[in-house]
Amino acid sequence: MTQESSTALKTGQMFINFGPQHPSTHGVLRIALTVEGEVVVKADPDVGYLHRGIEKLFEARNYSQGLILTDRLDYVSAMPNNLAYCLAVERLAAVQPPLRAQYLRVMVSELTRIASHLVFFGTFSVDMGAFTPFLYAFREREMILDLFEMLCGGRLLYSYIRVGGVSADCPAGWEEKCGEFITFFKPRLKDYDTLLSFNPIFKDRTANVGRISAAQALSWGLSGPNLRASGPDYDVRKAEPYCVYDKLDFTVPTGKTGSCWDRYYCRMLEMGQSAEIVLQCLDALAGTACLPAGRELPPGEIMAKGVPKILKPPAGQAYAHIEASRGDLGFYAVSDGSPTPYRMHVRGPSFLNVAILQEILAGCKIADVVAVLGSFDIVLGEVDR
Amino acid sequence: MKNYILFVSEAFWNTLKGLWVTLKVLFLPAITVQYPTEKLVPYPRFRGMLAYDAEACIACGMCVRACPSKCIALAKAMPVPQQELCSSSGQPVSPEGKRVPKIEWYTIDYGRCNFCGLCEEACPTKTKALWHSLDFEAVFSTREEMTRRWKRGDDLWGTARRSADGQFSAVADQIHIQDVPVRK
Ligand code: SF4
Ligand code: SF4
Repeated sequence: MTQESSTALKTGQMFINFGPQHPSTHGVLRIALTVEGEVVVKADPDVGYLHRGIEKLFEARNYSQGLILTDRLDYVSAMPNNLAYCLAVERLAAVQPPLRAQYLRVMVSELTRIASHLVFFGTFSVDMGAFTPFLYAFREREMILDLFEMLCGGRLLYSYIRVGGVSADCPAGWEEKCGEFITFFKPRLKDYDTLLSFNPIFKDRTANVGRISAAQALSWGLSGPNLRASGPDYDVRKAEPYCVYDKLDFTVPTGKTGSCWDRYYCRMLEMGQSAEIVLQCLDALAGTACLPAGRELPPGEIMAKGVPKILKPPAGQAYAHIEASRGDLGFYAVSDGSPTPYRMHVRGPSFLNVAILQEILAGCKIADVVAVLGSFDIVLGEVDR
Repeated sequence: MKNYILFVSEAFWNTLKGLWVTLKVLFLPAITVQYPTEKLVPYPRFRGMLAYDAEACIACGMCVRACPSKCIALAKAMPVPQQELCSSSGQPVSPEGKRVPKIEWYTIDYGRCNFCGLCEEACPTKTKALWHSLDFEAVFSTREEMTRRWKRGDDLWGTARRSADGQFSAVADQIHIQDVPVRK
């Protein structure tokens, strides 16, 4: 009958746009999903909605002005961006920052890592339907932001690490406040575990979802906690130590299965390690530990001597990469001897991490798309640049 | 079935453990600040709204060159003929009778400003003529208002062009966290 055929359910594939305005994409990412019922058949991440042409903008600014742009790449953890940029430019211009500045740099990078992973912890738990951890994460993050505000005046975009050193020494009482924060923060990690990590509902939702094998992770060029969750323990801080990481004592947590839960838990463990590193740096700043024999950190010596205001590095090229909160962040600078870079390329870890989505989302349930995407902790400012 | 009951009881037990964590927080003092009735005062290095003092500025243009977004523009005061210098009262004259370059007008486009602090660092005057105040409550209701202009005699917050009649006037309705911003 005609009526019957018109109301009959049709089966077939359906096309869904996930994003770009979906709150769970943490920015403006579009994933073009082809679904068959509940199952994703094909997923195509579509990037570029936040493209600002930052790499080109570098070419119109001198080296000290270019630093301001690096904050705008990964705005959730801006300090490592400053650091990677400064390391590349310092390599280009052969500048050696003083030791005290190096300790400060490491310390703020690790504090940023904690702050950034806290944002991940909060937003990932909201994605998974738990709201309370979000509030706790932002309570702790606020303390770190206060520390940064005291140190350099910025709460989100710092421009603190400069070519040749850092912009300011710590103000009076900063080190004590930092120590207090770490003392407060370390027991909180146990709370997070109770609230979320080992909650069976949360584990059911994330363990065995979006699994990435070690071989897959390596071949797609993942880095950071996303790579380490699958097994390989590649960490730039260990593989190619920069600043003073070779003098510090820390471990690199790895996962086993590469599932969403492993990626999540890797970050939780990393926060604990970062807290240890901050403590060691505090000791070094106070002049008690992990310094080469006979060296002290003179207070106030935070800038390399003789760095001109308008830097003109000799013609050449330099690449420097660091372990940022989201993975292996690199800056490639080419100079032609003028005050502005000839070319500046950014290797953003989020951009490479987002590419693997097309492979692992296929076969997932629709509800797991949010879990997988959230577990990668991408920042679109860095994906699109 | 047995597994299901096990899972439910485990989930229930873990929820209780989670509730215990939240219960402990219940008796701690609240960390929420009831903005706008309560306000936090930022730390002294905070990079808030830029304040500018036309009396201290020597119109050297260092800030213009330092700014990565080219948001600052200025014009030096026109040179004054020598004879007028001695007689007129309003012109800035240094003790030796040499004319000090002073500002005619000075504008900052906050629509492009990064609040990065490079201009303040570049300013060579001893008491900075341009500095980041602690004010974090700047609100702009039109695009024109985002460009602030200072002339000699204006206050630290400058004037903005009203779209209605095109006149420059002090910015109304702007709340400031502190009446006198810290000067570094
Ligand atoms: S704060 Fe930065 S962007 Fe704003 S006017 Fe000063 S130098 Fe320019
Ligand atoms: S504000 Fe400072 S840097 Fe800018 S023109 Fe005036 S004196 Fe020079």
